[in-house]
Amino acid sequence: MDRYLVVDGAGTMSVFEIYIKTTPERLWEAITDPETRAKYSFGVRTDSDWAEGSQYKSGVPGVIEIAEGENVEVDPPRRLVQTMTALWSDEVKAVGTSRVTWEIEPVGTSCRLTVTHDQLPADANSEVYGGWTMILSGLKTLLETGESLDTPGSLRYSGATG
Amino acid sequence: MDEVFRALADPTRRGLLDRLRVRDGQTLKELESELPMTRFGVMKHLRVLEEANLVTTKRRGREKLHFLNPVPIRLIHDRWVSKYAEPWAATLSELKQDLEEEE
Repeated sequence: MDRYLVVDGAGTMSVFEIYIKTTPERLWEAITDPETRAKYSFGVRTDSDWAEGSQYKSGVPGVIEIAEGENVEVDPPRRLVQTMTALWSDEVKAVGTSRVTWEIEPVGTSCRLTVTHDQLPADANSEVYGGWTMILSGLKTLLETGESLDTPGSLRYSGATG
Repeated sequence: MDEVFRALADPTRRGLLDRLRVRDGQTLKELESELPMTRFGVMKHLRVLEEANLVTTKRRGREKLHFLNPVPIRLIHDRWVSKYAEPWAATLSELKQDLEEEE
């Protein structure tokens, strides 16, 4: 079984993996389209032009800033590597810049999505990488059923601008 | 989902997940050093956990590192538990709002 990927660089790493019945193209769109992204990311949108080397910003405009960083590698619909600086509190800001890698691999009629969050300090506040399970579960629900997840906290900011 | 429950039904496999929860990204050698079990036994358990997607692996040089993947357990939570947690969370957020308005 040769499905594992190469680990490079220093720092602590967390890995989140999920199988979603969808195509790589639809999955890529759900990750990079701000409106779709907001539906499964606590109502937070992520805006960028998605060119390699470009910047992105995540947040609810006028309400809260969540994260920002650079799109280091952009290879649709397979691989997206981003730096990430969390911005939602002083505690998470103190963690500094880490790295998030999204990898999409077709498996039969589904896709395996792996989100690797690494280059984190050993004592990093777990809030910084703790949201991924809820986000990925919501992404699966959205793509497979067309519905948004309504678990506690999952729509935290969704009404904030309305 | 059957595979997740089957994988979690064994105390040794739950113990392996506990070890990865304490320290993620361990090699087979590190994991087996803490268990009174043969290397083959640990490998067998890890394979069941991998098939259930509760453990995912990455390569570092010649080493294969094992990571706890909590997502399948979140899916179980979202399917059954969330229904009960929702009113409770709503009450908490109302309480927070009330307290903030009083300030």
